[in-house]
Amino acid sequence: MKKIFFLYLTLINIAFGYNYDDLVLKAQASIFPKIILLDKKIEDKLIDGKIIYTIIYDKTDHHTALSIEEFINKNFQGNLDKYQYKINLVSFENFSYKTEASAIYVLNLKKHIEQIATIATIAKRKGIISFSYDINNLSKGLMFSLVIEKSTVLYLEKENLYTKKIDFVDALLQMVRFIDKDYATQEEILYYNKLDKKKLYASIRHSVFSNHKE
Amino acid sequence: MNKKIKSLSRKIVLLIAIVTLSSVLLIFNLFEKINKEAFYNIEMEKAKLVLSTIEPLIAVNIYLNLNDRIDQVTKQLITNPNILSIKVIQENKIINERKSEEFENNIDDSFIVENDIFQPNSQKKIGTLILTYSNKNYKELINTYTTLLIKVLFLFGIVFLLFSLYVKKLLSPLRKIAKLLQGYSPDKNIIIPFDNQNNEIGFISNALNNMQHSIAQYAKQQQNINKFLEEKVDEKTLELRKQLYTNALTGLPNRRSLLRDINNNDKGALLIINIDDFKEINDFFGQAAGDSVLISFSKKLSNMIIKKDNVTLTHLSGDEFALFFIKKPSKDEFIQFTTNLLANVEKMIFRHENNELTLRVTIGGSFRVQEALEKADIALKSAKKKGKDFLLYDETLNVEQQYKNNMEWTKKINWAIENDRIHAFFQPIFDNKTNKLVSSECLIRLIDSDNNIITPYHFLTIAKKSKLYSKLTKIMIQKSCQYFEHLDCDFSINLSVEDVLNKEITEYISYSINKYNVSKKIVFELLETEGIENYEEVSSFINEMKSLGCRIAIDDFGSGYSNFEYLLQLNIDYIKIDGSLIKNLDIDKNAQIVVETIVSFAKKLNIIVIAEYVHNEAIYKKVKELNIDRSQGFFLAEPQDNITLNS
Repeated sequence: MKKIFFLYLTLINIAFGYNYDDLVLKAQASIFPKIILLDKKIEDKLIDGKIIYTIIYDKTDHHTALSIEEFINKNFQGNLDKYQYKINLVSFENFSYKTEASAIYVLNLKKHIEQIATIATIAKRKGIISFSYDINNLSKGLMFSLVIEKSTVLYLEKENLYTKKIDFVDALLQMVRFIDKDYATQEEILYYNKLDKKKLYASIRHSVFSNHKE
Repeated sequence: MNKKIKSLSRKIVLLIAIVTLSSVLLIFNLFEKINKEAFYNIEMEKAKLVLSTIEPLIAVNIYLNLNDRIDQVTKQLITNPNILSIKVIQENKIINERKSEEFENNIDDSFIVENDIFQPNSQKKIGTLILTYSNKNYKELINTYTTLLIKVLFLFGIVFLLFSLYVKKLLSPLRKIAKLLQGYSPDKNIIIPFDNQNNEIGFISNALNNMQHSIAQYAKQQQNINKFLEEKVDEKTLELRKQLYTNALTGLPNRRSLLRDINNNDKGALLIINIDDFKEINDFFGQAAGDSVLISFSKKLSNMIIKKDNVTLTHLSGDEFALFFIKKPSKDEFIQFTTNLLANVEKMIFRHENNELTLRVTIGGSFRVQEALEKADIALKSAKKKGKDFLLYDETLNVEQQYKNNMEWTKKINWAIENDRIHAFFQPIFDNKTNKLVSSECLIRLIDSDNNIITPYHFLTIAKKSKLYSKLTKIMIQKSCQYFEHLDCDFSINLSVEDVLNKEITEYISYSINKYNVSKKIVFELLETEGIENYEEVSSFINEMKSLGCRIAIDDFGSGYSNFEYLLQLNIDYIKIDGSLIKNLDIDKNAQIVVETIVSFAKKLNIIVIAEYVHNEAIYKKVKELNIDRSQGFFLAEPQDNITLNS
């Protein structure tokens, strides 16, 4: 069934939408909900006692969003540790400040890239955690992304951390790689210039490691 | 003086060294223990710190299932040379384990710490983290510390060695001073160095030099004093010597002087002159009068012998003087001198106030110088006893042997009493009509160490003198009463007037009679003569015993001047005719008449008559013929240690 589902996704994507990395999607679907629980102020973000995990997507990626929802539900069985959760699928046109969300996960919006900053601003104002499928969106104000290199690497845009409403456990901050807007801008330029993605990542990694050493 | 000198400096240093080293070792040991523990805790804390530092990171990675990230963390951790291994366990499965190259070499003494892994932002345990931390640092710390300790101790040792040498050097003058002083005497002047030192040694040297000067002066004074004292001592010695050999009252030589003269003489003779009843003069006229008489008497005696060069007068004690003949006169001259002396003394008149006093003396003499004092004393006592004014010691009497004999017998009696060797023997008394045994006389016997049976003839008189007699009487009473307690036979015990007069004995008799219930069987035999001499006391005793149911016999009746009137009053039951009347009864007509009279008298008074000393058949027949009731004697039965009734 899984195979059929992902085959379907692939076909749809080939036909209409963005071509997602299945491994990255799964990794993000497994790890991002757990990161919500690493926020010491999770209690403030509960809505009706539940964690609302809102997935924001482009209409062309609706099936991808559905498949992620299904994967999460299958993986976590309706509970994140002691909390119940609910997955809310919202297309970016419908996403507003009023949209219920304890955390948001933004799929690829390359066609509407200018909207990402708006989504990020809303998330900041709401004081919720934001995850991005695409690491480049961190430069727009989203908080976390995950990349699979030699190993799985979590990236965190450090400027987005400066909010009083989010307080992560220290260990998380020890293990993530921080990234700042400059690298993202550079990546953005590269992106628009349609440079090779591997080179981009290599460049980011170099910057991150240099930063890490500092 | 050859005593080995012990070094004070060495002793001081040794003592300080022992005390200090003990303290230092104690402190070092304490510190070592504390430090080792501290080092151990430090390393342990380090290990725990490492573990607690990485635990949250590992926890997040486990939580997020980022196992490759865990691997990165442990890989990075193992680069630390102190970390030998790291093990991550999740749900009892090792999910990650890394070991350093040194792990196998150091595992034995390394620190192993374990920490639970909790889910971040939760208290849920999600795994365990085990860290093996190297003990290399710990060992290095300990080694460094031990090396330091040894170095300090070594340094300490050197400091002490130097210190001891310094102390020895400081105190070396004392040893030199001591050596100099060994040859010191008050007439020598020893120059002690070091007096210029401005320390204790200098003070001691100065003090010793001053002391020498003082001692020399003092010694001179002492020599003068000693000379004076020696002269005084010589004078006093002469005076004391004189006092030692002189009587203080009369100024005559004393007993000690006499003994010295006797011992220094081979031939000589001695007279001891004792003033009779001199005590009466003291009591009547007073001590001063007595002393005055003694002084006058001594002067008169001195005057009597003033012409005799070979006679010395000695004042032995208060009323006793002695004349020692250094050259022995003939026996006749000796006796004649004594006779004249006695006559002259009788003529002597002593005046006290308005009274005229005369003296009588008793003289004991010894014509031999060997043990002259003792022999003259024996002669004196003998003369006093016999009421004679002079007796010369008779060598043939062998009085010393008698004294010795008495002492030996006293010892034997004592031994016999202590060892239960005083026994009661029983001589049967038979009825002359029925020829049956009717009574037994209890006779004392001493069994000596050779089991010889000794009759009282040998020891009873001595026992009386040595105050053992009452003990013997008690033994006889106790043993006789006990023997006859269960025998249906009368028995008699001899009592002397001393026994009767002794309250302790009479009480003991009453006690024994009651104890053994023999009042109806017992007969007390009393001597006829003694009974008359102490009539009142004897009469009282007889009445007391009769009241208890006892009977009384008069023993040896007819041996003295028998007083029938007294006998009548004494209420006696038996008369035992004296053996002197019985032993020749068969042939002695006078004895027969006396015995007949006694028997006749006794029959009229219902007194039973017993003949003792029946030693042959003729006597026995005569006894029966004379109508004597009972007989006792060797012809019938000898005394035995037990009796056979119906014999």
